[in-house]
Amino acid sequence: MDVLTTADEAASRTGPYRPEPLVPDPRSARFRAAAWVGAFLAPAVALVLLLLVVPFLITAWRSLFDDNGITARFVGLSNYTALFTDPDFGRSLLNTVLWVVGTLVLPVLLGLLLAVLTHSMRWGAVARTAVVIPYALSGSATALLWTYLLRSDGAVNQTLGAVGLGGWQQEWLLHWPLNTLVMIVATTWQATGASLILFLIGLQTIPTDTIEAARIDGAQGLQLFLRVIVPQLRPMTVVVVGMSIVNSLKTFDIVWLLTQGGPGTASETLALTMYRQTFTLNRYGYGAAVSVVLTVVVIAASWLYLRQQVRQRSGDAV
Amino acid sequence: MTGRTARGVLVALVSVLWLVPTWLVVVNAFTPAKEYTGSPRWWFSSPGLFANIRTAFESADVGRGLLNTLIYAVIGGAVAVTIAALASFAVTVMPVRRPGLWFWFIFIGTVLPLQTFLSPLFSGYATTDLYDTQYGMLLIYVALTIPFAFFVNRNFMLTVPREISEAAQLDGVNWLSMFLRIHLPLARNALLAAFIFQFTWIWNDLLFGITLSLSPNVRPVTATLADLNGNYATVGPPVVLAGALIASVPTVVLFFVFQRFFVNSLRLTA
Repeated sequence: MDVLTTADEAASRTGPYRPEPLVPDPRSARFRAAAWVGAFLAPAVALVLLLLVVPFLITAWRSLFDDNGITARFVGLSNYTALFTDPDFGRSLLNTVLWVVGTLVLPVLLGLLLAVLTHSMRWGAVARTAVVIPYALSGSATALLWTYLLRSDGAVNQTLGAVGLGGWQQEWLLHWPLNTLVMIVATTWQATGASLILFLIGLQTIPTDTIEAARIDGAQGLQLFLRVIVPQLRPMTVVVVGMSIVNSLKTFDIVWLLTQGGPGTASETLALTMYRQTFTLNRYGYGAAVSVVLTVVVIAASWLYLRQQVRQRSGDAV
Repeated sequence: MTGRTARGVLVALVSVLWLVPTWLVVVNAFTPAKEYTGSPRWWFSSPGLFANIRTAFESADVGRGLLNTLIYAVIGGAVAVTIAALASFAVTVMPVRRPGLWFWFIFIGTVLPLQTFLSPLFSGYATTDLYDTQYGMLLIYVALTIPFAFFVNRNFMLTVPREISEAAQLDGVNWLSMFLRIHLPLARNALLAAFIFQFTWIWNDLLFGITLSLSPNVRPVTATLADLNGNYATVGPPVVLAGALIASVPTVVLFFVFQRFFVNSLRLTA
């Protein structure tokens, strides 16, 4: 029933002012209301159902088979038991957790800080542009660029050598966990622009009176930021943090383009394990099982997070 | 005063840090393919950009790819945001039974890993003749971008004071005109933001481009560039970077325009 927290909340919001039926017959009024709702909801629901949910269900069904793309044999849950005893899967899970934590700490926090610091600043637009441009760059450009930067003879090592820090030179992409960490930094470079924009939109909705009142009360700098701005930004924070969790759990592109999950399988995330099992090794059933586990983790994480946020919201309203 | 200086220094530092990699993309796209040595350059050696762009357009149909991507990103993004706005109006304002359930049903689209869809979609598209058609590409892009646009709009519409729709209902306004005349204009900024995000997402998608299309007049530009990247040995990284740079111009411009609009609307409210 907890899933319906949002439902209950919204129902109590909309409940008291249902449209007064113009015609006294309540049944036709109810039918008409349902038709309205249907017309508004149907396109979104139909498209999501047909093109996303149904393909997912097919994949989930496939995870119960030993399927090499040509023949399929029903094996029940044995793909899953094989999965949980596979040490590679443990590493992949750990990497995925690193991605979730890393992208929460770096792009989200930096986006928030930069939004607050630059939104009333004279040269703020320049700084914002610098941070937003990478978000608009295409993935292939980003991948090529970071390959340049991080290769053993790449720009980072070149620069370190040139400024006399040759001892800091590393084979950035060849050792775990360093490779995962530098890829998180690369993602930060690309993704901070997105959270910056969302937080700027959030800042827009804070009434200037609120900030002024806090200023008059003597709130300044960090205090103003923590006590006034951060709580006021909560609706947008829910969006940014929610998306960050979901996207980092699904991390694929940048790892695929920079290390292919390697060396070996050291930097693989769950999405890569799934892709490799399915499309490289043709173990469709096993790959499907990985994707089901990944999906369960993503849904559980976002549900836990959003549920908590909804509770806090209603708590604030009192 | 010192606080302001510290803030300025911090912001300047971050900007420089962010600009260095961008700088490298630009400089290396200018490097003539023949002079490329394997290690990155820090300064322009000669204006090789146009030659690189020409090579990119000649060895792969980057122009046609750009046009396809433009169609998908503009139409797909706009349709997705419209459909998402309708749905978020339904779950936040209309008297829907169990709106939370509907919310999760649509939101789940952002949660499911993309690779999960690939193989079933490929077979589905092949049997329905949607494979390698522009309609097919548009359809999947719309479906993929609805959930996030819906999430953003719904969170925005929750902040619209309920008194507004209450008053409109007392006036006997029907749902469609309430949506068109009140909620749509109010949500303008959120909708625009959602559109820009979805436009960028479609613009930069590679996975579905390479899976669901084949012929040059259907393939998005990212897939074309990936083909170019596959020919690494023949054209070289500067050409790929030049192509990627050209392909990134529209999204960069979009963000730039959006930022101006955004700063203006900030002033209006202040």
